[in-house]
Amino acid sequence: MNNHASFAALVLAIPLAATAAPETYDIDPIHSFAYFAIDHLGVSTVRGRFDKSSGKFTLDRAAKTGSVEVVIDTASVSTGDNVKGARPRTRDEHLRSADFFNVAEFPQMTYKSAAVKFNGDAPAEIDGQLTLLGVTRPLTLKIERWTCKDHPMRKKPMCGGDASGTFKRTDFGMKYGVPAIGDEVKISINIEAYKQ
Amino acid sequence: MQDFLAHPAVQAAVVPLLVGLVVAAVLLPLRLSGLAAVAGFLAAVVLIGNFSFATLTATRKLVLLASAAPLLGVIADFAFKPARLAGLVLGVIFGAAGLWVFWAVLVQQPFVHGLRLAVGVAALVAWTVAAMMPLHGDPVRAGAAGVGLGIGAGVGAVLGASALIGQYGIALGAASGGFLLVVMLLGRRARAGASLVLTISVTATLLACAATLLAQLPWTAAAALGLVPLAVRLPLPDRTHAGIEAVIAVFYALVPAAGCLALAWAASRAGG
Repeated sequence: MNNHASFAALVLAIPLAATAAPETYDIDPIHSFAYFAIDHLGVSTVRGRFDKSSGKFTLDRAAKTGSVEVVIDTASVSTGDNVKGARPRTRDEHLRSADFFNVAEFPQMTYKSAAVKFNGDAPAEIDGQLTLLGVTRPLTLKIERWTCKDHPMRKKPMCGGDASGTFKRTDFGMKYGVPAIGDEVKISINIEAYKQ
Repeated sequence: MQDFLAHPAVQAAVVPLLVGLVVAAVLLPLRLSGLAAVAGFLAAVVLIGNFSFATLTATRKLVLLASAAPLLGVIADFAFKPARLAGLVLGVIFGAAGLWVFWAVLVQQPFVHGLRLAVGVAALVAWTVAAMMPLHGDPVRAGAAGVGLGIGAGVGAVLGASALIGQYGIALGAASGGFLLVVMLLGRRARAGASLVLTISVTATLLACAATLLAQLPWTAAAALGLVPLAVRLPLPDRTHAGIEAVIAVFYALVPAAGCLALAWAASRAGG
């Protein structure tokens, strides 16, 4: 009798275990971008974004754990200054050079984490590692907005939100132009991702 | 003072020129005036503040090699008289070292393209070193070549979108100018030596290659700088003051440098 009860409990538990399994989401590159903001001459804030990124994240809502990996194509940096006019080069071309993102030598920057903290049922903070210019340093991103639902037209499960954090670029060896061009960089990532 | 030293023109031109001048004058009795170029260049590196051993990027490896070149030059100056063969051997050595500097960039290219770039880097460095070495006994022509190569690589890099490499190149040119000022004032007593010609040839060509690989200086513009060691060999007037010789030699050196800049400008207009 005891054996039958155990077997029944095991059978009933299988679907529960299945729903508790980690879910993996692929980042939609068309609706996911990394933005940055940096002080310029102590006067204003210059903003830019990386037009190409990819990656995925996993969520285990039952265990309240998760992981994330975002790969950003540094050559896709854009601050909106892409017309030379009378100048030999644009700001975006300068940002791609060895002075800043050094895209020929370091074509990618990555953000990885296996430490997603939850607040209730939603992820609230990510303790991760940013790798930029070959240097890896910790970077915490606070998740300011998070939603999971079915895509309204495609009816496919999706999650998305906005996260941001700050780091000093000199910690990564990007020293050119400091302090005229600020050291502290605010990075914001907006992500939409579809369940695999 | 801090603001003054933070100005890019001070970092890349004023300080390297003064350091080059002082080092050339102070080390003249020791026959080490040729260290003026590396002293001025490293002064700029320190002031610009981009150097670190933490991650050895191509530009940081370049600084290391630029620092090592004059040490080898001093050994060459004092241990043996650099001959034509020494120029070829040192050219091959520094050509290979150039591949080490840019290795991380080269291996990320498609194979054939990466191979072409590698051959280009090695050939430009090797040629310029070999062509500059015979000038070790001629401080006027060697110093003038330093001005032409440094200004060409530096301003070319700025036109190619890298202010950092540009500042490094201009600093090399300014430091060579400091050396040349001492030659102009004191005559040919100031020795160039292998320490000067190696610093100039290795650093300037690596900077030009860096501006090509890490920014957008066209290859043709970098290659034009290879003509500087030939241009400074053009005849100088006999029995004139070293100052007049230096001015004419600098003019010769600036012709290929101007060609480099014209090609860099044309490429930027064409969208390349």
